[in-house]
Amino acid sequence: MIMARKKGSYAGKILRVDLSSGKIEKQDLDLDFAHKYIGGRGFGSRVLYNEVPPEVGPLDPENRLIFSPGALFGTAVPAASRTTATAKSPVTEMFGDGHSSGHWGSLLKSAGYDQLIIQGAAEKPVYLWIDNDRVEIRDAKHLWGKSNMETNESLLETHGSREIGTLSIGPAGEKKVRLACIFSDGIMGTFARTGIGAVMGSKNLKAVATRGTGDVGIVDIEAFKRAYQDYLQVIAVDPYVPPATKYGTCRFMYHRVKFGIHGANNWRLGDFDWKPLDPEVFRSDYQIKASACPMCPVRCRREYRISTGKYAGTVTKLEWETIARCMTCGVNDPEAVIYFSHLCNQYGLDVEGVGDTIAFAMECFEKGLISERETEGLRLAFGNSDALMEITRKIAYREGLGDLLAEGSLRAARAIGKGAEKYAMQVKGSEMSAADPRGMPVRAVSYATSTRGSDHLRSNPYVEELITPDEGLQHFGSKEAADIFQGLKGKGKLLAWSENFVTIGDLLGLCKFAYYRSATFGYLRRKGVELATRFYNACNGTRLSEEEMLQAGERAFNMEKAFNVREGAGREKDIIPERFFKEALAGGGPSNGAVVDREKFDLILDEYYGSRGWNEKTGLPKKETLKKLGLADIADDLQKRNRLG
Amino acid sequence: MSATAGVAKKGAKRRVLYVSLPDQPDRICSGCETCQLMCSLEKTGAFNPKKSRVKVLPLAVGITIPITCQQCEDPACQKACPEKAIVPHPKLNLVVVDEKKCTGCLACVGACPYGIMAYDPEKKKALKCDLCEGNPACVQFCPSKVLELAGPQRSAEINRRRFAAILANEDTAARNNLAGAEQIKTLPRTLTLLAAQASKAITEGGR
Repeated sequence: MIMARKKGSYAGKILRVDLSSGKIEKQDLDLDFAHKYIGGRGFGSRVLYNEVPPEVGPLDPENRLIFSPGALFGTAVPAASRTTATAKSPVTEMFGDGHSSGHWGSLLKSAGYDQLIIQGAAEKPVYLWIDNDRVEIRDAKHLWGKSNMETNESLLETHGSREIGTLSIGPAGEKKVRLACIFSDGIMGTFARTGIGAVMGSKNLKAVATRGTGDVGIVDIEAFKRAYQDYLQVIAVDPYVPPATKYGTCRFMYHRVKFGIHGANNWRLGDFDWKPLDPEVFRSDYQIKASACPMCPVRCRREYRISTGKYAGTVTKLEWETIARCMTCGVNDPEAVIYFSHLCNQYGLDVEGVGDTIAFAMECFEKGLISERETEGLRLAFGNSDALMEITRKIAYREGLGDLLAEGSLRAARAIGKGAEKYAMQVKGSEMSAADPRGMPVRAVSYATSTRGSDHLRSNPYVEELITPDEGLQHFGSKEAADIFQGLKGKGKLLAWSENFVTIGDLLGLCKFAYYRSATFGYLRRKGVELATRFYNACNGTRLSEEEMLQAGERAFNMEKAFNVREGAGREKDIIPERFFKEALAGGGPSNGAVVDREKFDLILDEYYGSRGWNEKTGLPKKETLKKLGLADIADDLQKRNRLG
Repeated sequence: MSATAGVAKKGAKRRVLYVSLPDQPDRICSGCETCQLMCSLEKTGAFNPKKSRVKVLPLAVGITIPITCQQCEDPACQKACPEKAIVPHPKLNLVVVDEKKCTGCLACVGACPYGIMAYDPEKKKALKCDLCEGNPACVQFCPSKVLELAGPQRSAEINRRRFAAILANEDTAARNNLAGAEQIKTLPRTLTLLAAQASKAITEGGR
């Protein structure tokens, strides 16, 4: 039998590059640190808290841009393919991060590093070339202005190999558009949210190219193989998987239709003429092939091609959120959706942020707050797909009205004034994503409590769709936890648990779709907690319990919360747009007429803070909570600033 | 050297590693690369795609193809080796690298017409697929079940279907290729049909 040669899935070093001074530093990774914060989002959050105090602005050179591959990335653990990019966010001016699949993260580990920390800013455009031990800052004049695909191709050519990984920003990131993202390996993956691409642009860093040829280790091969076969057995019988494999993320259309929560036309309509965007249309008419991210057995990646018409020749990848955000802009032409995705991929824009910001502008146009003079003749009406494309281009290049919208919906609304702010659908400055929360109170609270602004991937309140009343009682203290529409008790606990739960995926680098979506609570726990922990232990020879793994998730979440609290955010920032409280969901459908009940919202939030060990009135973490999580230094820091609950 | 120089003693069972199964057209490589890492784990005890005997190639958007050793009748790698380090497997009908003799000169890596001889940059040795003693890790762990190791009867079944499919499609290029294969010395025994399937998916969409 072959014995494990290299112990553990960590590479062993942290790479720090100062673009101002050109200094390149390699530190050893402390294994105690590693086992405490696990990796990925945990590594990123800890370093950001340590190194970026409130005085540093998001686009200042002293902000950090931190790339941390998940702890299991580089191993063959199913769907371990995620890397976290962390920085103070130009959108929220609080904690920010984005997560992406792609090859780059595993190549960073093969090159010998568990984390890449970038600080300072270069004087002129540069890119970073990491070739195992050799790290160089190189001139990127020839890449500046290029799209993500072009940049990737150019770097592959320069370095003479298809076996390298790249990160890049498009023109939007270069222009410090606050809705810009970072792409991995062309358009294979996207660090989408929180304007992280603008941080990279502010550092004049166009790209990072990496070649790594070293091993990623493992301790217990037999335990790993057993966990692997168990995982395959679980997903073989999990009813969640076949539709994901069949339709990719487009499948979520059926979920939104079931509940009538599209949020079309800037989050006003629950129902919408969605039929042209049926997942079957994308599959039958446009899909090239089902493909997979590294190591993933679920295979929900999709590439689409348009063969005829005005967008003929477009080939791009697309996820559900692009479809959803086109509906937010009133667009239901599948070819326009695919082309919009293509534009965002080329320019390096976050489809969620851009889609919502354009929907905001469309409502301002509808209400007469923006005129055709400002739009330079563009009829910025809901459903006008040509206008959607043109304004997207203007945002990417900061032209005309695009320059204002490039600041994101909240900043744009403040500049427009005249009450425009109530049309900006955002939480903490970051635009909405996923589905309309009206009628489902805990979803509303989950958007509010996310540590990076409105977000559906920071928690998993969908658990309420899976559990039985008895499971609700057993795990969250009340049978009401299983009642989607009327339930109150247990919802706060359910939310806190689900936040810790999904954070595990971000620590280990596991895709959330492969681990946190499931058809029953039993499968969900089995995949996302039990098997995730077994994989980590097998790879690293540790003996973490499932509870300890959940606590590692809780620790990361608390660090991010503490970061935001140090920036001055309290309970008042854990709030959703007023529209959801005051305007009933319209347009017909199962949730027609629903609002978020403010009283219920507050009661769930109280229970949530309580179960988190934070002050129920102020939302600030308590000293003993942070201490219990091994974050005494953070508790001391917050105490000095008088920011404890 | 005769055409059967690389073959083990008489009676050794011939096994063929199939990539993508023509009788199960839904099984298409998703490009997840699990086979690469499981191969390196099985053979080296660590994860490293560079040390994998199987390589997943992204050819274009939507097409990925796992390339495996073709286990040639008259292996070019064996002929190219100046150290005679590529020797018959004691049990299976294929050749393997004798690590003790291999000097890491890379002659076989350059000679392989399929470009699938791998090289371990740390040990400085050539790496060749030996079908894991008859139970390949890539086959065991492929989530899309695109790979299958077939014995003689299953091979015959797959070959019949493959040939029938070629006839049905009137794919003359493929037919000529199959006929022409017997003219060349380096006979491929692993049949990669994925390219044809993937290009079909591209032109017709909807897979």
